[in-house]
Amino acid sequence: MEAFKLVYQNNIATLTFDVPNEKVNILKSNYMKEFSVLINELEKLPKTTVLIFKSGKPDSFIVGADVNEINTMDSQLLAFEKSRMGQEIFNKIQNLPYPTVAAINGVCVGGGLELALAFKYRVASDSDKTLLGLPEVKLGIIPALGGTQRLPRLIGLQSALPLILSGKMIDAKKALKIKLVDAIFAKEFFDEKILAFGKKLLTTEGIKEIENQRKLKPFSRKLIEKNPLGRIIIFNKAEKELKAFTKGKYPAPLAALEAVKQGFTTSLEKGLINEAKIFSKLAPSQTSKNLIHIFFLQEDLKKFTGSRDKNIKPLKIENATIIGAGFMGSGIAWLLSQYCEVPVRMKDLNQNAVTKGFKSIKEISFELIKKHKISEHESNFAMLRISGTTKNSGIEKSDFIVEAIIEEIEAKKSMLNSIEQLVKKEAIIVSNTSSLSISEMAKSLKFPERFAGMHFFSPVHKMPLVEIIPGEKTSEKTIVTLIQLSKQLKKVPIIVKNCPGFLINRVLLPYINEAIFALEEGFSIQEIDNAITYFGMPVGPLLLADEVGWDVGFKVAKILHNGYGDRMPLPSIVSKIDENKDMLGRKSNKGFYIYDQKKKKPNPAILQLVQQKNILSKKLDRQKEIIDRCILIMLNEVSLCLEDNVIDSPEKVDFAMIMGIGFPPFHGGICRYADQRGIKEIVNRLTEFESKYGIRFTPSKLLVELAKSNKTFYSM
Amino acid sequence: MKERIAVIDGLRTPFGKAGSALRYIPADDLGAIALRELMYRSPIPYEMIDEVIVGNVVSPIGSQNISRVIALKAGFPISTIAYSVHRNCASGMESISSAALKIQNGDGEIFIAGGAESMSNIPFAFHDKLKEILEGFFSRKSLIKKLLPIFKLRPAHFKPVICLEHGLTDPISNQIMGLTAENLAREFHITREEQDRFAFHSHEKARLNRTKLHEEIFPMPLPPSYNQSLDEDEGLKKNYSMENLTRLKPFFDRRTGSVTIGNSCGVTDGAAFVLLMSESKAKQMKLKPLGFINSFTYAALEPKRMGLGPIYATAKLFKKTGFKITDFDIIEMNEAFASQVIANLIAFSSDIFAKEFLGQDKAVGEIDTTKLNVNGGAIAIGHPVGTTGTRLIITTLKELQRQQKKCGLATLCVGGGQGAAFVVERE
Repeated sequence: MEAFKLVYQNNIATLTFDVPNEKVNILKSNYMKEFSVLINELEKLPKTTVLIFKSGKPDSFIVGADVNEINTMDSQLLAFEKSRMGQEIFNKIQNLPYPTVAAINGVCVGGGLELALAFKYRVASDSDKTLLGLPEVKLGIIPALGGTQRLPRLIGLQSALPLILSGKMIDAKKALKIKLVDAIFAKEFFDEKILAFGKKLLTTEGIKEIENQRKLKPFSRKLIEKNPLGRIIIFNKAEKELKAFTKGKYPAPLAALEAVKQGFTTSLEKGLINEAKIFSKLAPSQTSKNLIHIFFLQEDLKKFTGSRDKNIKPLKIENATIIGAGFMGSGIAWLLSQYCEVPVRMKDLNQNAVTKGFKSIKEISFELIKKHKISEHESNFAMLRISGTTKNSGIEKSDFIVEAIIEEIEAKKSMLNSIEQLVKKEAIIVSNTSSLSISEMAKSLKFPERFAGMHFFSPVHKMPLVEIIPGEKTSEKTIVTLIQLSKQLKKVPIIVKNCPGFLINRVLLPYINEAIFALEEGFSIQEIDNAITYFGMPVGPLLLADEVGWDVGFKVAKILHNGYGDRMPLPSIVSKIDENKDMLGRKSNKGFYIYDQKKKKPNPAILQLVQQKNILSKKLDRQKEIIDRCILIMLNEVSLCLEDNVIDSPEKVDFAMIMGIGFPPFHGGICRYADQRGIKEIVNRLTEFESKYGIRFTPSKLLVELAKSNKTFYSM
Repeated sequence: MKERIAVIDGLRTPFGKAGSALRYIPADDLGAIALRELMYRSPIPYEMIDEVIVGNVVSPIGSQNISRVIALKAGFPISTIAYSVHRNCASGMESISSAALKIQNGDGEIFIAGGAESMSNIPFAFHDKLKEILEGFFSRKSLIKKLLPIFKLRPAHFKPVICLEHGLTDPISNQIMGLTAENLAREFHITREEQDRFAFHSHEKARLNRTKLHEEIFPMPLPPSYNQSLDEDEGLKKNYSMENLTRLKPFFDRRTGSVTIGNSCGVTDGAAFVLLMSESKAKQMKLKPLGFINSFTYAALEPKRMGLGPIYATAKLFKKTGFKITDFDIIEMNEAFASQVIANLIAFSSDIFAKEFLGQDKAVGEIDTTKLNVNGGAIAIGHPVGTTGTRLIITTLKELQRQQKKCGLATLCVGGGQGAAFVVERE
């Protein structure tokens, strides 16, 4: 016995699960085996027993099955057997001839929750760490240890479906409300309370009292779920929503729905077999492997500090100043105040600009309060932590200064120079430039080691990625501080080498450009955007260009054109549009599309600028052409970035692309997509495009080499 | 003599008319925003402040001991102690004198004192009868018992109790403040025209010197929409001519009175703060204070003549310190009502008044009106009751600094029948 400890006293059997040498409990196969042996012993306990199952870890009950094991399931048969084996153990628990209680304190997700569901009763602590959920669909699989069967049977379809289909987590209070748990207890008194709960179960009156609590089901549940017509309505509605949401790219949620649907009215055993079957189809699929790949990337990132040297501690940021209260500056001010809870001083040239900054902050808070992402109370405090000024007062108190003024190198340099003379000597200064040279800016500083680029994306409160760009002399302490700060701000930081456009804009621009070239050649606006969303991108490149704004986009395009020359030519349309000052994209309601109220339609003025020539006639060929041109030119630029060490691994590129531009997660990232499609094929396709469209498609050295040596991005 | 108290710096929000620009900012937030701004501008870190003392008259229901709420919202560490003071209209001076006494007594070295008031946010209350019925509704168990008393409700019970009106009424004389001003107009025979002319001058002086007032103000972006910011006292926006003022009807005594809303101070929102320490501490820290508090006192009189507070308090202060009226380069006397200030001016120069009411043979001393409220007063810029005391100290010191003069008197009348007087100095 390693991970399980059984104590039997006064008819109460307490089984503690505590995986040795680990911070959290994971249901690995070997522990499952250990558990199944132990169950034989549990079956022998007298019928007057009450079994309490709990975790020996302070903040986790069971964090789920071992994702590594799921990742190695490469055949349907293996997946099916694994699932059935687990199900049988859980069945045995369910069939124990006496009351059984799962006492949940801390994280209880996936296989952990499925185990808890096999117990007759569940109680939970009210700790913040107590979270319950079935996140399997996020990994491209479904709960396969009875989750799709036992949960709907226990709490009803209407409460169970959202949990199973979306993978969202709920806290103890919500779990009590939907009767997923029978009671919740204060975490400080948890041990005593679960013992008392166990003792209650020793008497029939006690059992009755607890069972009676469960019976208070809402009337609507009986009315709808007990009749076939009601069920059809529920399932159809769920299916429709899922189809719209997954766009056919993510099979797991629909499969989970199918498992629930088929199992809800049959026997548990039939339902379980069916569940295992459906699971076994998903587990070996490429989509699931890709999503698991991203899950691991995410886990790695959590551990990433920005330096290998563990002794370098981040500077504690207690006071921040933002120079420039524009859209970006005020968004960053809001982030710091809301999530870092530090006072933030927002400086701009005149009071009007400062007030506008407050206005955009208010709009962000209002939006997030409405979406229940932040509470009104917290938001009021965040608002009070922000102050505005047109002078320099208070900047000397800051340990973190963000420069977010106009994108002009000389203006930025002189600003940085004057800031440095006012601030504390240990203060860290960053520039939120989107494409100007960090090394050039660093030249204006006396102590460039405290300076780096920190590129937030617009709108700041929505975009999860932050590019951190060290200059040549940036210290490790500065980098470590910025990585830690980004995480505090709920952002995903990546370290990128200084180059025009850094990573994201550098690869995004050729992609948008290519869409515009395609437009110029006669593909229609909707055709282009539809093809790309079909590929899985959240929005098409032309709509994205409108969202970013033409003024901003054109500035970046020019900088990148200067930096990379013929590889990033400016489409002629762009300069034509640039003369038209009211065509700024979404912000002026006019760009590639015309926006009025909530609808958008292609802008006829754009169509006048393009020459109609139909190159390919078949719809499918045209779609493929658009996808390959846009995605592969981006991929080619990505490989050039890897070649130039702009970013240090394909893993990081993949994660950055998913977070930064919404590259479809089911592909597992752009490098993984290339690996799976075959580097050779990609090089061939690029070469084909090169002969048709010119040198912007010349395959990178890295790609050619990988193709030659039969390697992939991930194996290089 | 006790050591002087150094006022290192002070600032205030622009004052907003109640129900207007600042109405969506409750008193605690108003205070917090002003205090945070002062702390940004001051060289003293938060941790060095021993205590925060705030004057406030109508305590917001959600922020009892508003001082502590303000301190924490302004970014003070949880270890900072804070309490609130209430001496009605002198609350913003009481906070300063409380801090001064503590410093002189050795109970701390560096203090924040100030005032915060949002008269916009003074609530309406339920009629007592309605309250009784509602209480019954919440305390009774059975539905029938809960609902029965509903039949006892009468339309009159739904008339809200306007707390502002009650707050401005003196419970002893049962007279609203405006009527106490009427009393003085009658007692000192001050005509409507005299009052209006005084009010007109107050507006004129404030408008002419608006850039000077800016020196004590910081601009405030305005919630809820933040479409604009309030950069100066809202009272300055309206242009009052003598004609406008003359046309107004008496507000408090509609038939035979002379006090109008034009020759009274407005109901106002605003907050003000100063940073205080002993003179020696300031020297030790090599700080250059804005000025010093030399001495102060409070005096009391009949509630229905409360407007005469300044003469009572000043006379008492002069007896205590030996100062005389000619020692002052600047005099700030709060303008609650024009009649009330004029009554004081008469009383200051009257031997008879001195004999009858102050127990001294000679008049306290004639006030040179060219030194009085040189940048206008509350009639023009408003009177957020808990805040004004602090505002007067800041305004006096800043004006002394501008004029490069030495000595100032700041005095005000206090609802309920009291007066306050402070001697402040530069250098």
